[in-house]
Amino acid sequence: MNLFVAFITGLTTGGLGCLAVQGGLLTSTLAHQIEQDMLAHNGSGSTSKFKPHIAQPILLFLLAKLIAYTILGYLLGSLGMVLQLTPLMSAILYFAIGIFMIGNGLRMFNVHPIFRFFVIEPPSSLTRYIRRKSKNGTSFFTPILLGTLTLFLPCGVTQAMMATALGTGSPTQGAMLMFSFILGTSPLFFSVAYFATRLGSAMEKNFTRIVAVTMLIMGLVQVDTGLNLSGAPFSISRTISIVQAYALPAQTGTSIEVTENGYFPQVLHLPANQEVSIEWVTRNTQACSRSVVVPDLEYQKILPTTGRVTMDIPAQEKGAIIRYTCSMGMYPSQFVFDLEE
Amino acid sequence: MKKIFTVPDMTCPNCAMHLEGLEDELAGVESITASYKKLTMEVVFDETKLTVEQIIEAAHEIGYHPEPVAA
Repeated sequence: MNLFVAFITGLTTGGLGCLAVQGGLLTSTLAHQIEQDMLAHNGSGSTSKFKPHIAQPILLFLLAKLIAYTILGYLLGSLGMVLQLTPLMSAILYFAIGIFMIGNGLRMFNVHPIFRFFVIEPPSSLTRYIRRKSKNGTSFFTPILLGTLTLFLPCGVTQAMMATALGTGSPTQGAMLMFSFILGTSPLFFSVAYFATRLGSAMEKNFTRIVAVTMLIMGLVQVDTGLNLSGAPFSISRTISIVQAYALPAQTGTSIEVTENGYFPQVLHLPANQEVSIEWVTRNTQACSRSVVVPDLEYQKILPTTGRVTMDIPAQEKGAIIRYTCSMGMYPSQFVFDLEE
Repeated sequence: MKKIFTVPDMTCPNCAMHLEGLEDELAGVESITASYKKLTMEVVFDETKLTVEQIIEAAHEIGYHPEPVAA
């Protein structure tokens, strides 16, 4: 998942989904601030219009939340790196994330009570502590503390994003992913809190449906990614891209252009029954296509931004297919061994 | 006294937190533990200060309809 997608996810479903869980913390902080400002205003005997100072606590809350989740992303990415995820392990992780998201989507649609078990509920003692902290405190301390404490009340979309950060296997990528996502959630949090409106139950129901549909779609995408990374012959994205590739004339040769939009040709026809060497060619390539994974050959390599890297493929029987993808399960492509020697 | 209620209209984990928030609102409540997974709410309270009906009424006011489980 790239950072832009993480940001947009935060801006849309992430913000909506998390408002239900974390919005209460923010509004109760604001209520306290407004009460304090009201007392100060009335005590001063001022005749000017009452204006509570709510922008500052909202910003402090959101800033603390952003920093906390960025650190969490860094830690999750570090954990993923320590685990040294192989393509198969990544595939299993993506499957698990996908099933978790689909389960949560179905739970939101109330399909069956069993899907309630896809929810991770924080212990009552923790929610009690957070709730009580949100009712008292000073103007600086409370928003910062509550912003940080949202770590313990992640909504479903945030939990899925946390799992994706783990899957990156890189502290920097994990931190940047969570940063982008939480940054995306911030405008909605700010708007709702600033205008001090509460979502009516009808609106909340619609938002829940939008979040549920997005969770289902994202879940399917994650499962699809898992299929690509495991080298499975069938996945939705693989089927679409391979069908498109077969519509073009058969491509032969020994080099693959690694671009920002994937691998070209997507289907490369190679000779059967003999060892072949192919070359990965990058030309200022920055996308995840640089990180190539060939599960059947247990080959995983991060290519230079610009350069040529050779990969040897042992002799394959006629008709054999070797599938590959980028390390994020995107751009599914394949070698087909159907040429005569 | 400990009383368990079923709360069929909990729709998300946040509902459990809403219900648990009643422990700060109702005099005589010692603790409330709600579970979205089980759709239940367990209330420990002082029966000399509070009745089961008052707990149900307080839950109604925040949009939930608990039903006491027979002991």
